[in-house]
Amino acid sequence: MLAFLRRNQILLSSCFCLILSLYLLAASARGQLKYDPVGSAVLWLVRPLQSGAQAVSNWIKEMSQSPVTLANLRSENDKLRKQMLHLEAERNRLLEGEAANKRLQELLDFRSQVPSGSVTAAIIANTASTWFQSCLLNKGSADNVRKGMAVVSPQGIVGQVVSVTPQSAKVLLITDANSGVDVLVQRTRSRGIVSGALDGTVVMKYVKRSDELQEGDRLITSGLDGVFPKGLLVGTIGKVRRQQAGLFQSIEVVPAVHAGQLEEVLIVGGDAPAPAAKG
Amino acid sequence: MKLTLLFSAIGIISIVLQMSLLHLLPLGPVVPDLILVLCVYLGLHHPSVGAALGSFVLGYSIDVVSSPLLGINAFAMSLVFLAVYLSARSIWVHSPLVSVVIVLAASLVKSAALVLISALFVSMDGVWETAIKYVLLEALLAAALAPIVFMLLQRSRNLVQQLSNAHE
Repeated sequence: MLAFLRRNQILLSSCFCLILSLYLLAASARGQLKYDPVGSAVLWLVRPLQSGAQAVSNWIKEMSQSPVTLANLRSENDKLRKQMLHLEAERNRLLEGEAANKRLQELLDFRSQVPSGSVTAAIIANTASTWFQSCLLNKGSADNVRKGMAVVSPQGIVGQVVSVTPQSAKVLLITDANSGVDVLVQRTRSRGIVSGALDGTVVMKYVKRSDELQEGDRLITSGLDGVFPKGLLVGTIGKVRRQQAGLFQSIEVVPAVHAGQLEEVLIVGGDAPAPAAKG
Repeated sequence: MKLTLLFSAIGIISIVLQMSLLHLLPLGPVVPDLILVLCVYLGLHHPSVGAALGSFVLGYSIDVVSSPLLGINAFAMSLVFLAVYLSARSIWVHSPLVSVVIVLAASLVKSAALVLISALFVSMDGVWETAIKYVLLEALLAAALAPIVFMLLQRSRNLVQQLSNAHE
């Protein structure tokens, strides 16, 4: 018996891992996993590294968007090149400072309009999987962030907090196939559910065929899902397709917020109405 | 012990890269799967109980940072490790070309596991359409990364072993 276990120890440990994964899946799907010490430890380990990597990533993004490229500078003489690089760096720093100032001012203005108890957070990581749309924030339960809270920006809603550790929170974006937001069409007051699809598109479901919707119609949160405050911008209708048969029409949505371009967000509870967000 | 620390560090770095810098590549929603390549390497060149548990932990780490359902990537990575370990017992896999094929196949196994588990547990709309659209691209990317990642892992492993020998 002992010899059998020793001979097949890798096989048996792999099978144990598979069974443990299935148990975790079942428990997670039923919402029975209340406390996850391993997950907290992983996040505690990854968080500081991730903040650094995200800063590098943001820097590369900014540099790639800079109007001055190295190719243009090659034709300049050494003195001018040094001067230009210095001035460009200074300009980028000032522009970045100005942009950050504007963003934070907008966030501050927006914060005064949403329910009290909101928390400002920075996005420190994107999803590590092709299959799920999520991001990681730098605030957690130590900052009064709780599972189920809404994540919004001045441009519109971003997603929902699905898990928290003391120092971070995982957000399921509205572009994820597992998400669902109860919305109203601002012009007609038609109701529906906005959800992501695995191919990266966002759709509005369960809208009656008889409802007259147009491209460009603004979608706002209804507040009925108990997560997002009423009146926040979700996106606009991109395309309306009325099928030959069926109860509902097929609607593509252009989300108001592209999480990949966001740096700061606001985490709010969904218990009070809020004014419409900036379009 | 030193190898365990090495692979743990590489695992953490891979997760961090997958969550940040690899998003800069113009590949749409597809993220190159370094963790999968690492799991395949462990199954091929470092099969042990620790490596099996390591594959599980790597998958679980992706779940913690990215997935709404805990255990889905842990299952997929454990399955990949098991499949690679079993195939490595019967096929000669120590050449870069074969490792590319193994990683390609492992990526397809991972995607199949993710699609099936998603269909069973969360019933996501459009899961099959997306699988057709992205599975092959994801697998090709992982396979393309395999030779260089394997080479780096092998060199790191040799370096650690040399340092250990020198220390002794």
